[in-house]
Amino acid sequence: MTDQEKISLIEDTLEIEAGTLTPETELANIEEYDSMAKLSLIVLCDEEFGKKLTGEQIRAFKTVSDIITFLA
Amino acid sequence: MNFENKVIVICGASKGIGFNLAQTIDALGGTMVLHASSDEGIQKLKGTFEPNKHVFFQANFAEPTQLEQAWQEQIGSAQKVDGFVNCVGLRSRRPINLLKSELVLEVLSANFVSHLEMIRILTKKNFYNTGLSIVGISSIAAHSGGAGVTAYAASKAAMEAATRCLAKELHKKEIRLNTIVCGQIHTEAYDAFMETKTDSDQVLERQFMGLGKPQEVTDIILFLLGNQSRFITGASIPADGGYLV
Ligand SMILES: NC(=O)c1ccc[n+]([C@@H]2O[C@H](COP(=O)([O-])OP(=O)(O)OC[C@H]3O[C@@H](n4cnc5c(N)ncnc54)[C@H](OP(=O)(O)O)[C@@H]3O)[C@@H](O)[C@H]2O)c1
Repeated sequence: MTDQEKISLIEDTLEIEAGTLTPETELANIEEYDSMAKLSLIVLCDEEFGKKLTGEQIRAFKTVSDIITFLA
Repeated sequence: MNFENKVIVICGASKGIGFNLAQTIDALGGTMVLHASSDEGIQKLKGTFEPNKHVFFQANFAEPTQLEQAWQEQIGSAQKVDGFVNCVGLRSRRPINLLKSELVLEVLSANFVSHLEMIRILTKKNFYNTGLSIVGISSIAAHSGGAGVTAYAASKAAMEAATRCLAKELHKKEIRLNTIVCGQIHTEAYDAFMETKTDSDQVLERQFMGLGKPQEVTDIILFLLGNQSRFITGASIPADGGYLV
């Protein structure tokens, strides 16, 4: 999966307009990135990538690129 | 409290509250039907509790329609039951956009439909002794909304509502049913659950008596199983360290 595809998936999961996010986007600046969005991210990692994402790891994410790296 | 000559069915006995309850009733001399869904769960139970005294029951509560046959094959009506405690709980936390109906059905089946199904099986004539006491483990989630816990909360609320109806219906058979409304209790499942929490926990702030211990819930279950609680039925008894106060 390319980084762009991952960004699309993240946009989809967080219900953000397609084409809004870049790897540099800071998560703190995304209005939709609330606790339910983080929960959706956990489900995405688990179901699409078979990866367990913990609350601690989520708190360490600063930019979209950090999520992409985790999904690698 | 004496459990000699008493037969207690404990579902979800391989971990957490159920396991602590099984250890306690074993020490008090009771005979048990011990349930778990996984092979590891059953192995752990067989390794801990004397197989000559207790019997073991393996079944997946996510498939309620299979329960009666599984019970007949594995247990039958050899022993009349004095108590049934259901500690099975399938946890689920996800936002509504990802809450597919298959998942909702799975959670409702495991936590609610199978609970009813077990009651249906055990309250048949000749399956239980007079004074049968049934205890379901519910949750504060059934009373206080939490974002994302929709399916789980609904399944526990359904268990409590059904308990009130059945208490009236089964009173004639001298059967009592109650639920325990658990707050946060320190079990493996609780630790796993906290790992997925993204915000620092305000949970324990509300639960001002702190994190509960399985033994604290066990003590309330023993009371509800025994004759000392004979005037209580259809109730939702809190074990929540003050959470819902
Ligand atoms: N711990 C808490 O903070 C808390 C708070 C509120 C309510 N509760 C409720 O208290 C009860 C016990 O929770 P716990 O934390 O002590 O234990 P737990 O770790 O949730 O243990 C669950 C038990 O249920 C069995 N189980 C799991 N999935 C099953 C399935 N699909 N079919 C049949 N059995 C299944 C497990 O057996 P296997 O090992 O074989 O899978 C295990 O014995 C649950 O009903 C839970 O909802 C707990």
